[in-house]
Amino acid sequence: MSHIHIPDGVLPTWLWAGGWVLTLVFVFFAGRLAERNDVRRKVPLLAVVAALMLVAMSSEIVPLAYHVNLTVVAGVLLGPVLSVIAAFIVEVVLAMLGHGGVTVLGLNTLMIASEMVVGWALFRGLVYVLTRRRVRAATFLATVLTLAFTTTLLVGLVAVSGGGNATARETGALDPTTMSFGNPLSAGVFRAGLFDSAGTRAAPAQQPGRPAAEPSLSVARFAAVVYTLGPVGWLLEALISAWVLGYVARVRPGLLWDGPLERRDHAVIGDGQVSG
Amino acid sequence: MNIGSIDRSAVSDLGWLHRISPTAKLAAFTLVLAGVVVTWNLFVACALLILLAATAISARIDLRLALALAAYPALFALIFAAASAPDAMTGTTIVVKAVSAGLAAVTVVLTTPYPQVFAPIQRIVPGIVGDALLMTYRTTFLLLGKLGQLIRAVRLRTGIRGAHPIRMARATTTALGALLLYALDLAQRDYDVMRLRGYSGRLRIPLPHGASRGRDMALLVAAACACAVSVAWRLGWHALNPYSWLLPLAPSVLLGVAATIRLTNQEVAR
Repeated sequence: MSHIHIPDGVLPTWLWAGGWVLTLVFVFFAGRLAERNDVRRKVPLLAVVAALMLVAMSSEIVPLAYHVNLTVVAGVLLGPVLSVIAAFIVEVVLAMLGHGGVTVLGLNTLMIASEMVVGWALFRGLVYVLTRRRVRAATFLATVLTLAFTTTLLVGLVAVSGGGNATARETGALDPTTMSFGNPLSAGVFRAGLFDSAGTRAAPAQQPGRPAAEPSLSVARFAAVVYTLGPVGWLLEALISAWVLGYVARVRPGLLWDGPLERRDHAVIGDGQVSG
Repeated sequence: MNIGSIDRSAVSDLGWLHRISPTAKLAAFTLVLAGVVVTWNLFVACALLILLAATAISARIDLRLALALAAYPALFALIFAAASAPDAMTGTTIVVKAVSAGLAAVTVVLTTPYPQVFAPIQRIVPGIVGDALLMTYRTTFLLLGKLGQLIRAVRLRTGIRGAHPIRMARATTTALGALLLYALDLAQRDYDVMRLRGYSGRLRIPLPHGASRGRDMALLVAAACACAVSVAWRLGWHALNPYSWLLPLAPSVLLGVAATIRLTNQEVAR
């Protein structure tokens, strides 16, 4: 599921603001942990893995409105601490390109980071159970389980934001005389008196001091759509991730088992230059 | 996502918005975004969208690129609205809000070089996060170019055509795997370069001033007015709702003037 494709201004303020606060706390904590040693090696590594995720996300399968994310692959390579930072970087770049909202950036970061961390943990656990010879199976299972988990997280978020009284208030308008919230369009734009004279316009649809009956988001319908379309995306992502990590395990297994921060001396593919 | 075109547009000096200071543009973006977030009135949301379109046209940015980028969130907003909105009015408002927020972000990015967009964020987050953020954008170009080359090479070697979707998918994922290895080697090379150049844990990005302080202030005042209107309509909806339909009129006039001037300039240039 990777990130929330929910526009700015739909989720209640307390939810997205809370997401921002939690994200900043996690990013600062992860940043301080990562800066303890070898910063010069971690900065370019973070940059390339985040860029790799952005490149993957730029290739969209239009009929499904789905794009590859490679979050589990990135999580396996980076580990939990750097994953949080990479998730934040990816979301900042995406938000500035109009892909994903700015207000939901915090929640999106938490969503991607949890996908990377859970994917990393499941991959490690499954490799321990299935052995290192079954990297593709481990990746496939880890990706499907991770995406199912984060999809459920997303539905939970919409349920929290769309089903409760808190959202009913947030989606309405503040009436300064009663300090209560109500939806200005609860009676429809035209019936709300937009084209009537001030004296003959329709009365507000709610009682003073009480929120109007709000048209809140339909969580059940949203869950039905997400759980129907989602598994197609999970399978695609799992197949691609399994293939990519299987290829890496075959060509350069040290990257998976020792980590990309292990020192190596070899050529950059296709560039004909040697780094060392 | 054509990042190359985005960067070309950002570093060119085409319109008035390119010459506004990055700080003023980011502050104006925040104000307009606040206006979009606050409103649930379709007319207010439409007025903000038209105002942003007028700004984009007058700033002489590539409209096809801007609209393509801004329409991208609309696709997902449409799905979200169809899945969860209780009625067509709310659904339409959700989509308009998504496009407005997207167009606001895209207008900033298409008129500001990326180091200047990310510099304020870089200053408040830990050094490793800010520096990696700046390097990510640059690396994305390299990887996009490399992915195109790898896919072409794999297709040429395997003779794949559209009739073999499974073989094509396998070739594409192999290209992704090779890209991953290339990316990690690139990180190693970047590390070597940074070590050689004496990187000490913080990249310094200066924030330039705008060409005119007056223009910076004018942009901020306009953005503050847009935000204030949105807040006013939310707070005083009892009294103001009957006049909501008036709101898109003024931005529409601005849009018409901006489009006419741009078309006339294009004719003169020909």
